[in-house]
Amino acid sequence: MLLEAPRFALPETLGEALAARAERPEAVVVAGGTEVMPDLLWRNRTAAGFLSLRRVAALRGTATDGGELVIGAGTPVAALTTAPDGGLRAAASSLGTPLVRTEATIGGNVVSALPYRNLLPTLLASGATLELTSATGTRVVPFDGFVTAPGVTGLREGELLTAVRLPVHVGFADYAKVGRRNAQFVATVSAAVVSRDGVARLAFGNAGPTPLRSDAVDTAATALLDGRATPADLRATVAAAVDPPEDTVASAEYRRHALGVLAVRLVTRAAVDAGLGS
Amino acid sequence: MSAVENPRTDVAGGTDGADGSVTFGLTVDGTAHEVTARWDESLLTVLRDRLGVRGPKTGCAHGRCGACAVRADLGDGGHVLCACLVPAATAAGGTVETIASIGGPDGALSDVQEAFLAEGAVQCGICTAGFVTAATELLETNPDPTRPEIEAALYGNLCRCTGYGRIIAAVETAARTRRGATS
Repeated sequence: MLLEAPRFALPETLGEALAARAERPEAVVVAGGTEVMPDLLWRNRTAAGFLSLRRVAALRGTATDGGELVIGAGTPVAALTTAPDGGLRAAASSLGTPLVRTEATIGGNVVSALPYRNLLPTLLASGATLELTSATGTRVVPFDGFVTAPGVTGLREGELLTAVRLPVHVGFADYAKVGRRNAQFVATVSAAVVSRDGVARLAFGNAGPTPLRSDAVDTAATALLDGRATPADLRATVAAAVDPPEDTVASAEYRRHALGVLAVRLVTRAAVDAGLGS
Repeated sequence: MSAVENPRTDVAGGTDGADGSVTFGLTVDGTAHEVTARWDESLLTVLRDRLGVRGPKTGCAHGRCGACAVRADLGDGGHVLCACLVPAATAAGGTVETIASIGGPDGALSDVQEAFLAEGAVQCGICTAGFVTAATELLETNPDPTRPEIEAALYGNLCRCTGYGRIIAAVETAARTRRGATS
């Protein structure tokens, strides 16, 4: 342990981090600090202490394992701006600013689990899985279903998210979001697409309380991809599938419309990439 | 060490009891310090209010404006970051280089700072240390940046005076001067 105080723990190894997690269940797990520090400043949350993962080098970095890209949970978003996955690359590149991306981590983005987080639709569209590790071992769960409510996940007591696994696919993947301005904006709504072998899969952010996808949307997106349906068909299917929030940023009606626009935009890009569009 | 006795309590987190302190080592601009801070205090608060290092500025205090940008090596090789977002104690044993490390001793200016002056890229000045820090980092990794590359590298720094045109011109001038000096 690099540093230990009654309300602060700074482990250097995963073993130390898991031991500290078990000993300090009330502590906020903090990696980059890019969300937690503003939250404390604005009194959006209180914290009984920090368990910082910043110095656990084993959590940083990416590797390939069989057909999967394995991204350590402590990997900074900046490192994902050159990822082989186009969706991850686009979502990472439009997160915060360069000075935020060096600190923000993929693990923090996933575990904070808010509907507008950039990386979440990309992980859902690509069929990502998560490695959740506790003192008793590691379990691998689908990202689909991991977020159960805004800010709430299936992470159990004593567990840490240690890695995100993405299938490495030959195909097209992209991400798009809209916000209230063109610089440094949080997603009012967002969408991600993965298209391979003529099949499109979409996922949405801020389209409901948790990251959202549906078989009906993917069927309509695939039909648009190969010219059997129109953009209006996909927009209508998306509008029926989503349940977006209504808040001071945007109305549910605006979000429902914008989600359809993003869906068509991404499927059109996929069609162009596949040589199917103009 | 020139410590400030009563750091602002409204900068990060709340107040704490007696067990809320953390003590750690931190090297700032080549000087080693032993810091005692609250567990939830930001690196920016420690730099400015505990160590009296006033190069990094408090702007938005939530990672948007880049006025607090410093170069730091917190065990991961070093890069420019927003000091306001980093819980200070996570920097234990690390090194921080502020704008004071970019200029020379006795107030001598770096080539990037000279270019900012020459191009009129400084008005009120609160953003300048952050811009110079980000621009210096850019030119060290990319000596011949295009205009879009400069804009992308400075995307995390806000200026409310200049309209950015003079700042981008300054970075182009610094790059040109530096390439001329080395070729």
